[in-house]
Formats: sequence, structure tokens, C-alpha cells
Amino acid sequence: MIEPYETALDDIPGAHPYPRTSRYHDVEIGVHRTADGTEVRYAKRRLLPKLPEHADEHVVNAGERPDHLGQRYFGDPGQWWRIADANPVLDPAELTAEPGRAIDVPSPGGFDV
Amino acid sequence: MSEVPIGSGPVHLSLHMGPKLTRPVPGEVAQALLSAQITSTAGERSGFQLAFDLTKKGRIVDRLLPEGFFDPKTRVILALAIKGTPSVILDGLIVRNEVGASNQPGQSTLTVTGEDLTLLLDLEERTDRYPNLAPSQRVERILGKYADYGIDSRIIREQVHQPPREELRVDYQSSTDLQYVNDLARANGYTFYLDPGPRPGRSTAYWGPEQRLGQRQHALTVNSDAHSTVDQLTFAYDGTAREQPEARVQDPATRRVTLLPDPDIGPLRPPLARRESPALKRKPLSGTAKMDPERARAQALARAATSADAISGSGSLDVNRHGYVLRPRELVGVRGAGVTYDGDYYVKSVTHNLRVGSYQQNFTLSREGLVARSDTVRP
Repeated sequence: MIEPYETALDDIPGAHPYPRTSRYHDVEIGVHRTADGTEVRYAKRRLLPKLPEHADEHVVNAGERPDHLGQRYFGDPGQWWRIADANPVLDPAELTAEPGRAIDVPSPGGFDV
Repeated sequence: MSEVPIGSGPVHLSLHMGPKLTRPVPGEVAQALLSAQITSTAGERSGFQLAFDLTKKGRIVDRLLPEGFFDPKTRVILALAIKGTPSVILDGLIVRNEVGASNQPGQSTLTVTGEDLTLLLDLEERTDRYPNLAPSQRVERILGKYADYGIDSRIIREQVHQPPREELRVDYQSSTDLQYVNDLARANGYTFYLDPGPRPGRSTAYWGPEQRLGQRQHALTVNSDAHSTVDQLTFAYDGTAREQPEARVQDPATRRVTLLPDPDIGPLRPPLARRESPALKRKPLSGTAKMDPERARAQALARAATSADAISGSGSLDVNRHGYVLRPRELVGVRGAGVTYDGDYYVKSVTHNLRVGSYQQNFTLSREGLVARSDTVRP
């Protein structure tokens, strides 16, 4: 139970610093206290979602970049990180570095139930 | 929209159905979906209506309908992805279905109507007593019973602290859980609603004040040529909507009646406008003489706060043009409507109208006065 307006700003939807389109939207926000007492807020480590069980395959063409795939499959080039999450890679450029590689594209809803 | 091939448009819809645990619907059902209409309102339950194309000898008519796939109390979850960003807009139960068979080919439809999961709270009338429990603790105990449908609760303690005294009175429930929770919300100036998401199958029951703080949604723009995102927007100022309640309490020992001071609604409803609308009506509350002073004070505060919204707006927008889904029960900025009606509003209700190739939203806004508080809104 929440006391009225005790931690109001922390609990209100939209008061989160990251927008809904961001991969950091669901990340927990931590507070670090420095030696002189100032508080610094930071995003805690993001855990990758479960790998999709049913994913479409995309065969990489020469000259493609992750943002091209985001535009092609989701209609927004900023959403390339969903594809990088589904093929766990450390460097997103690795996804499309090698033409002919088949990569998984998650469903646009982002939910696999 | 028509030149975008199926599967790569900006809006993706996924439908899950099942008795209690849901699964994605078969491909035939998803393809037969003609239109969906979902209404969500602050303080009231949400409803939905889905229309399916009913082909003769199709799988819906031959197998799924007789097997009870669309029977009442089947759970329906509808999730949307706008440009890859997912959101759940409906988690509900089917209440009725209608089959309209027609002589014209392709005109037979199956219409499914239902309500959101608060219907579960409204199915059984029960009597229960709550000795020594404050209103928010009673709500917590009631909502705890529905956790197996994935309902979490977010309960905010009442604004006017009402210490329960068992030796004086014991509160008693003699209605459905939903009615009782709604009555408790109304007595404290709060709202109760169910917010689906963030993942399919989960939802949050919220019991607390209308959330009039925090970051605004992307602004609604009218009358600004190419920058307009809203088709039309109508505002109304109802002078008689706001009333000032008068509560009198009687001291049982001395029989003396005292008039409670006018409550300050600021903490419950942070003002959104610069010029507050005046309360034209004064109304004595009945039945407050018997109450404890705290309960009478909460009642007066609730009446003053819930009647404060004299300005209401309504309109419609096209999601593809706006670029974002307007969410109900949050704040949004309005620009282009003139000095009096620009500024921040609370989104009271939103109706989603989805059909193949179009996504329209109708919405209503409200606030308590005229003229924006700040010079800018979030674009």
C-alpha cells in the first residue's frame, strides 16, 4: 500500500526517464550516494528477455544495417535493438556484418506466449 | 496504408483467447476479425466489442462456435504494437455473442461483446464484515482474492485518515465486491479501475486518486495546418457542474451541530488551470450528522473533488497521423485551441476503433478551470 503522495513521482506512469520505445523503459532505477552525500540516479543492469520460440528469419543482404531491419520489420529504425536482443550479439554491427547470414526477427508484438 | 504489405505496417494486433490462461487465437480467427472497439474510462469499467466475418462452412461456424470458443466468461486479451512498441489495451471476459446471418454473401458476422476483468468482482453478492479495517485495508483484502487472474493491486491510503473503532461501528458489506470497492472509492474521492498490461495476462487494479501528476503524453494539436494531429476537438464549460458541499456533524455527547470548514481539494487534485471555475451551487450533504467527524470530512472532500471538473473536451484522432496511442487516465497537453482552452488536461476516457487499415481514437478530457498554467506543453 502506498501512503498518499509519499513517493508520488516515482510511482506515476510516465515519470520514468525513459520513453516507452526505449529498451531501458522497464529497467529498475537505482540511486547511488556519493561520499559527499549527493544522490545520482542510474539505470540498473538490463536483463535480456527470453529468446523467441517462433521467429521469422531474415537473410542479410550486402550493405544492410540493423536500423534498416528495424524500419523494414517494425516501421521504426530505432527499434533495431529488438532484433539484436533476439539474436544475442554483443555488438549490433555483428548482426549484419556478414551477407548471407540468417538472423531471427521477433514478432512485432514483442510478446511470445 | 494500402500499399504497405500485410505484416509490415506500423500497427500490429495480436489476439489471445482462452478460459483462464489464454493462447494466441488460430489463424482463421485472426483473419476473420473485422473490427474492434474498446472503451476505457477512469472510474468505470471498460467494455469491448469485436466483430468477426462469418463465412459459411468456415472453421468458426463449424468447429469453434459449437465447441464453446466464444462462450461467455472466455477471456480475451488484445495487444497492440505501434512501430514495434507493444502495449496491452484489453484484458476482459466475453459476456454475450451475437450471430447475424445474412442473405448477402460476406455480410454474416459474429459480434462478441464483453467487459474487462472487473466483471469477476461483480458476479457474486456476498456479505462480509470488516472490523477494525480502514477503507484501503478493506480494498486490499478484497482484491487479494483475485490474484489468480493475474490482477495485482496498487492501493493508495485514503486522504483523510479514518481510524476504525470496533466498539463504535463495524463496517459491513452486503453487495458485490465491485460495488463495495466503488462505494469506498466514491466516499474518499478516489477512483477504481483496472489497467491491463504491461504484459498479456497481467493487469493492475488501481484504487486511488486520479493521477494528475507526472509527465504529460504527447500533445494534441488542433487548428495548426500540417502539424494538427487531432481531427476535431470540442470544449464545453458547464457552470453548474461544480458544487460546494456542506457537511454538518453532531457531537453525540452535547448534541451540538457544527458545520465543517470547506475542504481544500488541492492535494487530491493538483490544479491544471490558472483560473479555477467557481462553485455556483451549495449543497448540504445528508446523513453526515451520524458519522464520525473524519468520515464526514472525507465525504465532503470527495464530493467537492469529484464535482470540480467543470471543463470537458471531446474529440477524435487518427493514431497513424498522431504517431502515438493516447492512453486514458493520464495527463495530456492541448495546443491550438486558443488561450482559454489550451494547456494540460486529464484524459478521462478513450475509445479505440480498430479496423483493417485504420485506427481511430475518440477521447474525452477534463479539468477544473480555464487558461493554461504554463506557457508550454510537451510536444
